[in-house]
Amino acid sequence: MSMSATLALAKTNVPNFAVATFGTIGIYITFSCIKLLGIGLYPSLLFCFVGGGLVGVLTYIFVIRPLRRRGATSEEIMIATLALDIFLIAMLNIYADYLTRKYKIMARDFTLSAYDFSIFGLDGVFVVSTSVFLAVLVVLHLIFTKTNLGIAMKAIGENPSLAECDGVNTEFLYIITWFIVGALPALAGAFFPVYWMSNPTTSMFVVVTVFSGCVLGGFTTIYDAAVGGYIVAIAQTALVSYLSNVVGTWILSYGFLIPLLIMIVTIFVFPEGLRSLSLDRLLRSSRYILTRLEGFR
Amino acid sequence: MISVPGVEFFTVLVTYIIIFLIITLSYNLAYGYTGIPDFGRAMAAGAGGFLCGYLPGRLMARVLGIQEDYLENVILIVDRINRELEKNPALSIGLLVLTLLLAALAAGALGLLASLPIFRGIRLFYLGVTLLSIQISFNTIVYHWEPIIRGEHGVPVPDPFGWLPPGPMRSIGVIATSAIVLVIVGYYCISVGRSPLGRLLKAVRDDERSAEALGRDVRKLYVKVMVISYAFSGVAGALFAFYQGYVIGLHFERVTWTFWPIAMVILGGLASNKGTVIGTIVFITLKRLILFYKADLEAFLPFSPVWLDGVLLGIILILLLIYNPRGLLPEKPEITISREDIERIREDVSKVL
Repeated sequence: MSMSATLALAKTNVPNFAVATFGTIGIYITFSCIKLLGIGLYPSLLFCFVGGGLVGVLTYIFVIRPLRRRGATSEEIMIATLALDIFLIAMLNIYADYLTRKYKIMARDFTLSAYDFSIFGLDGVFVVSTSVFLAVLVVLHLIFTKTNLGIAMKAIGENPSLAECDGVNTEFLYIITWFIVGALPALAGAFFPVYWMSNPTTSMFVVVTVFSGCVLGGFTTIYDAAVGGYIVAIAQTALVSYLSNVVGTWILSYGFLIPLLIMIVTIFVFPEGLRSLSLDRLLRSSRYILTRLEGFR
Repeated sequence: MISVPGVEFFTVLVTYIIIFLIITLSYNLAYGYTGIPDFGRAMAAGAGGFLCGYLPGRLMARVLGIQEDYLENVILIVDRINRELEKNPALSIGLLVLTLLLAALAAGALGLLASLPIFRGIRLFYLGVTLLSIQISFNTIVYHWEPIIRGEHGVPVPDPFGWLPPGPMRSIGVIATSAIVLVIVGYYCISVGRSPLGRLLKAVRDDERSAEALGRDVRKLYVKVMVISYAFSGVAGALFAFYQGYVIGLHFERVTWTFWPIAMVILGGLASNKGTVIGTIVFITLKRLILFYKADLEAFLPFSPVWLDGVLLGIILILLLIYNPRGLLPEKPEITISREDIERIREDVSKVL
């Protein structure tokens, strides 16, 4: 999800506040595939990818493109994506109501852990999500570095007018980019209900973690976003799990404070994100801290 | 048979419009005039509202010498407090004024904290992300941390209007109090709009760097606007809590208290106080009508009509941004000297030439 938000900002200059709700769309596509069509959890990933991608394309065609043509400011586009977020959450709630009334299935506060498998003592969701994440990263890397399409996408991210003058079909590239922007979070969302209780407002609890990952990554490249997202997610999971053993399970409700803290520290200490932290600077800081500790001893 | 709105519907409607006008006028000051994309407005209203659930009850319990655990016996204690307040109008008014002032202070302090990222000179997008995240975290803390207002269970709020005769008089009391606050906020916002400060705010909104080049401390200005604007919104939150008589951790969520006000301001027209009033009246009436006809709509909709709220908000806001971003009453160009003076100068210049 962090990769998607970064991609939208870096390549199309759109701050996408609906990114986490694109993830919830993925949750409901998986849920529908399993409950209505009888398709398994992991085969439904394909539907999530395509469905999320289509939502991304529709977002571009009906919201982003008209705003761009009017010459909307960045703040206006930001508000439009927030409005889209509210609209999508309301539509997901309507869909959940519809599923409950029409098919008599519990479409809120559900988990899909029963549909997961286990391999060598590891949860299937861990193996599959990690593999999918690495595959997506490799594929995107290859697209952005080895294909004309990727290079053109880079160009529209830096200077769309110049790219257009050079004969690049920017419209087509924006559509492709928004397909990816929609598909990635939906794919990620498919894994969510395996561990966590899901409902149409799940995005509200995920959005802080997603943006924290983006801010830590510096909103520059998908690689930084991937690293940022991973660090934030691991910090949140590991710290909350450790603290719940030490101080009690009540701390679980406040787990979201960890990504918020990471976000605030990043903004105040190194607002450019991880990229601004050179290895040399990190080593110097660690050496300085160690020397001070030696001094104390 | 379709229901017809009665007197109660209109008193509720007027109360909501007044309370939300305080929010939207103060939001217009931050977003319309200064261009701060404040996505944490619900936090400001929440600061005032949750303070109402936390403070006046405890304060009155201490004044009345009640020793029992406040949260465990909150319903009984607040009931006793209300009986005391019914007998003592002066104490009720004092409690109301004190709470509103403290709500303004608490929300203003929160505005100061929320605007700290501005001092780092971060991009406005980062500010939007940060404020939205802080607001979600703020609401989640209040929802889960029981010692504040018992989280999801909530607490009753002492009724400072209890000394008025029950029925419509209480509603009139709430409306009159809210209207007094609205007049103060409205007067301040209109004065700012007409003053050199208003022109400076617009200059900062339109071109931050130019304003800085002319020697203005833009960041300090942002912080001042945030503090004042948050303080006003905090008072609105407190008034809402007093009006409802009960506060729970789910109140003051982002859709109603951040995104609806954004839509109201955009519909009316950025930096247009008259437009903001129109936008607020239109949206609140629409929202209340959906709630009023909820039962009628439920009969032929395959889903709960409450979700129409979000669908309409999303669609209207997007359409407004695409087709009418300047709103119903667009901002007028600022004329610093009167039209007659301009004409006179023009005539003088043409004579000389």
